[in-house]
Amino acid sequence: MVIDERMPYAPYPAPTGTAVAAPPANVAHGGGGPWFLARANLGVLIDLLREDGRAVIGPTVVDGAVTLAEIRSVDELPSGIGDEQQPGRYRLVSHGDGRTFDFAVGPTSPKRWTFPPVVPLNVGRRDGRAVSFEPSQLDAPRLAFLGVRACELAALGIQDRVFLGGPYTDEDYHERRRNALVIAVNCSSAASTCFCTSMGTGPEARGGYDLVLTELDEGFVVRAGSPDGADLLARLPVRAADAGQLLRAAESVGKVAATMGDPLPTAGLHDRLLAQFDSPHWARIAERCLSCANCTMVCPTCFCSSVTQRSDLDGDVSTSERVWDFCFTAGFAKVAGGSFRSRPRDRYRQWLTHKFATWVDQFGTFGCVGCGRCITWCPVGIDIRTELLAIAPPLSVRPEPARQIPVAATPGSYATARIVSVRPETSDVTTLTIGNVDPAFLAGEFGQFAMVAVPAFPPVPISISRFGRDSIDLTIRAAGPATAAIVGLGPRDEIGVRGPLGTSWPIERAMGHDVVIVTGGIGLAPLRPLLDGIIARRDRFEKVRLFYGARTLADQLYREELRAWAARSDVEVELIVDRGTPDWSGPVGVVTHLFDQATWEGERALAFVCGPERMMEATVDTLESRGLTPDRIFVTLERHMECGIGLCGHCQTGGLFVCRDGPVFALSQLGGVFGREGM
Amino acid sequence: MTTVLARPRLRVGIVKMASCDGCQLTLLDLEDELLAITERFEVVEFPEASSSRSAGPYDVLLVEGAVSTPDQAAEIVELRRKSQLLVSIGACASYGGIQALRNWSDHAAIRAAVYAHPEFVESLDQATPISEHVKVDAELHGCPISPEQLREVLVSVAVGRRPQIREEAVCLECKRRGIVCVMVAEGLPCLGPVTQSGCGALCPMYRRGCFGCFGPREQANTVSLASALVADDREDEEVARLFAGPTGWSGPFRSVVAAYGGPPGVIPFAVPANPEGDADGRG
Repeated sequence: MVIDERMPYAPYPAPTGTAVAAPPANVAHGGGGPWFLARANLGVLIDLLREDGRAVIGPTVVDGAVTLAEIRSVDELPSGIGDEQQPGRYRLVSHGDGRTFDFAVGPTSPKRWTFPPVVPLNVGRRDGRAVSFEPSQLDAPRLAFLGVRACELAALGIQDRVFLGGPYTDEDYHERRRNALVIAVNCSSAASTCFCTSMGTGPEARGGYDLVLTELDEGFVVRAGSPDGADLLARLPVRAADAGQLLRAAESVGKVAATMGDPLPTAGLHDRLLAQFDSPHWARIAERCLSCANCTMVCPTCFCSSVTQRSDLDGDVSTSERVWDFCFTAGFAKVAGGSFRSRPRDRYRQWLTHKFATWVDQFGTFGCVGCGRCITWCPVGIDIRTELLAIAPPLSVRPEPARQIPVAATPGSYATARIVSVRPETSDVTTLTIGNVDPAFLAGEFGQFAMVAVPAFPPVPISISRFGRDSIDLTIRAAGPATAAIVGLGPRDEIGVRGPLGTSWPIERAMGHDVVIVTGGIGLAPLRPLLDGIIARRDRFEKVRLFYGARTLADQLYREELRAWAARSDVEVELIVDRGTPDWSGPVGVVTHLFDQATWEGERALAFVCGPERMMEATVDTLESRGLTPDRIFVTLERHMECGIGLCGHCQTGGLFVCRDGPVFALSQLGGVFGREGM
Repeated sequence: MTTVLARPRLRVGIVKMASCDGCQLTLLDLEDELLAITERFEVVEFPEASSSRSAGPYDVLLVEGAVSTPDQAAEIVELRRKSQLLVSIGACASYGGIQALRNWSDHAAIRAAVYAHPEFVESLDQATPISEHVKVDAELHGCPISPEQLREVLVSVAVGRRPQIREEAVCLECKRRGIVCVMVAEGLPCLGPVTQSGCGALCPMYRRGCFGCFGPREQANTVSLASALVADDREDEEVARLFAGPTGWSGPFRSVVAAYGGPPGVIPFAVPANPEGDADGRG
C-alpha cells in the first residue's frame, strides 16, 4: 500500500456522508470485507446503477481515445484497450489481456459533468422601464461515475473546495455533485505523463469515493467508502476477497507508484516558484506555447468561466450562459484600455504559478493533481514537469534514487534476455543489443546499469548504453573472463540480466542550462543515453558540448554516431586522442586540453563526467577552475560490484554504496572520497 | 415589441467583390428570424436575394469578397463614402480568400495559363482584403461566416452595443463540445490552435484537421505550431500547403507559407515582382 503523509485533498465537504472503511453491519454478506466481484459480474454493477435511475458515466473508446461518456452496458467499457501517452501524443494500444481499466486517464474528466462546459444562468427581460432576471432551473441529473481514478478523486476534492468551501457556493455544482455516485478504480498502469505520486494524490484512491475497485485478472477487489457505497455493495454478487487477491491488489497499486517515481519534487515548490516571477524562462516557454488553452480545458481542476449573453433583436429578452473560459485567451484579463496579461508569457506564468503556488494560498492545496492531461493534450507537447524543474529547480542536489522496481532484484535471480545483435566497437569493446527485456529496463534512466550474467561466470555490472524502443544496448570491454564470455556470445544467445540499477544523470536539472559532457575511452557508454535524451529534447537545453578523449582513433566508441553528433549545429563535439596515427588529423593530448580555455555560463552549466578515475580527477580540477561548483559536476564511479543493490559491501566508498547511492554522484556528495588514494 | 415600429429602420446593403456569394447567403440561414430582421432593417441591396438595387447610402454595408480587379478597387472607395458602418464578411473580404493564392505567382503567367485570351481579363496583380483599400469598422471571419456571428453584429447594431464575438482558438469550441483532439490522438495536422473560433469546430468534429477558415486568432503562434508539425515528421511542403488555405494571405499564416517554401503550384515571377503593383496587371 502506498503510504503518503501528504494531504490527500479530502473533499470539502464530504460529498456523500462520512467515509467508512468497511461496509456497515447491515451489509448482508457479514464480515468486514473487502469483497471480490467476479469479472463476469461487472455488468451487474452497471445494471444496478441504471435500475437506480442513474446515468452511468464511464470510460469508453471514442474517436481514438478512452474518454468518458454515458455507457449503457458493460460491453461499452474499453476491455483489452490501453494507451500510450507522451507530451503532445496519445495513441490507443491493444493489450489483449482482457482487463477493463488498464489505461491511464484520457482527455475527459468528471469535471465535464460536475462543471459542464455550458450551463444556462438566467433569462433577463426588459419591459419598458422594468427589468427582471429569472434564474435558470438547476438541472442536475442522477449520475454514477464509473472508473474514477485517484487523481480525479483529488480533483473533485479540489473543485469541492473551490465551489463549496468558501463563503459563496456554486449551487449548480453543488446539485450536480450531490446527485453523483463515485465508483473509483485504482490504477494498474501509469502513462509516461502521470505524476500523481509527486502531487500526493495517487495512484491509490484514499477517500472521496462510494465504491473503489482494484482490478485483478479474474475480477475486482471492492471496498465501500460511504454508506451509499455500502448499500450498493450489499446488492452486488460479491464474496469475501481472499488473502492472495488482497496481496495482488496491493502489489498492483504499489508497482504503479514505483513506475512513476517522483518526477516532480514538490518540496518548497510554492516558494521556489514565486521567487521566479522574473525568470527569463517564461519567455522561452512562450516561444512554444500556442496559448490555445488545451492544457486548461483538459485540466480536471481549472474552474474559470465567462458569462455570455444572447439577446433578441431588440435587446428586450436575453439569455445568459456560463461557459468554460480560460486564462490563456486574450480577452480573459481584458478591461477597457487593454489586457492585464497581454503577452502569452504572462498568461503561461499566471497559469503555472496558480496551479503550483497561489492556489495553495487560496484553497490550501495545489491546483494540480498530477494527472498529466495538460502534458499529453498540449498540441506542441509542453511538459509542465520539465518547465517547473527548469524554472524552479528542486532544492535537492542529490541525483534522485533509482525509481523503477528493478527486474530480478535479489542477487540470485536473473531475468533472461536475448541478444539481438553484436557490434564490435574497437579491438576489445563490443556493443550488444539486448531484446526481450522486461519493460522495467526500457523505463530505466540514463546512467543506470545492469548486472549481467552467464552461467559459470561471476556477474558483472554493465552500464546501459542505450534505451531503445524495445531493446537496450550494453557496451562491454572484454577486460576479464566474464566480460570475454559475454562478448563472445552471438545473436539469439540468451543472457541473464538484473536491473536497471543505481542512480542516473539528473537530466532534468540540466534543462534550461549549458551542458558539458567530458568523457574518455569506454566512459562514453553510460553517457550515450544522456546524449540521446538531450538530443531528443534538444530545445530544452542551452549549449551542449561533448569532449571525448580516446587512446587512438581506433579506440573511439560509436564513431559513426560521433560524426552524426558533430554534424549537428546544436551539439559541439570535440575529440582528442592520446596518440596520433596517420589517419588522425585532430588534436593529440589529454581531454582537458579541449576545454581548458572554454567558457560557459559557469554558474548555470552542468557537467557530466565519466572515464578512468585519473582522467576524471583532472577533468574535475579543470571544470572547477572554469567556474563550475561541485554541486553542478556529476561523475560516475566504477567499483567492484556483485549484488548491485547495496547488500554485498564490495563497492563501499566512504559511507556510500556506489551501486545503490551511485554510480552517478554529484561531486559535492563525494566530499573527500573522490580522488583520495586508497578509496 | 410594440416600440419597434416607432424606430427608424436601418438601411442595410450587402455587396460583393471577388467571392463565391456563400457569405451573403448566410443571412438567409437566419431563417427563424428573417422576418424580425426585416422589421428592423431595410435590406436595400442584396444581389443573391433580390434584383432591386440601391445606390446607397447605407447605415450598414456588409462587403463580401476580395478586391481583385481595378473596377472593384475603385468601387470599394465609393461604397465606403456611402456607408456609416462598413463590415467586411468572410475570408475573402478579410484576408483575400483562396484567390489570394495567386498573389504568390507571376500574374501574367497565371492568366496565360488559365485563360485562352488573357488580354480580355482585367485583374490586379494581387487579390487583397477590403481593409487594404478602405477603413473597415468590423470584420466577420470565416469561409463562410457564421450565421450566429452575423446575427450578433446585426443585434449589436440594433441594440447599440459592441458585438460579443469571442477572441479564442478553435480549440475552445472543440473541447467544449467534447471532441477528441485530432492532432494529439491521430497525428493530423490542424490549424485549430492558431485559428479564430466561430465555426463550432466543424472539421475536427468530423475527424479532420482545421483548415483555418476563420483566419489567425489574436497572437497566433504560427511559428511554434509549424515547428511542431515539422518535428512530427511532416515535410515543409505539407506545412506550407496547410497554412495556404482560404486565409493563407493573412500575415501570421503568410509568413509560415513563405518560410516553408510557398504554396503548392506556384508559378515563379518571370521578372522581380514590382512592389508598387501594376495597375491593370498587363505588361
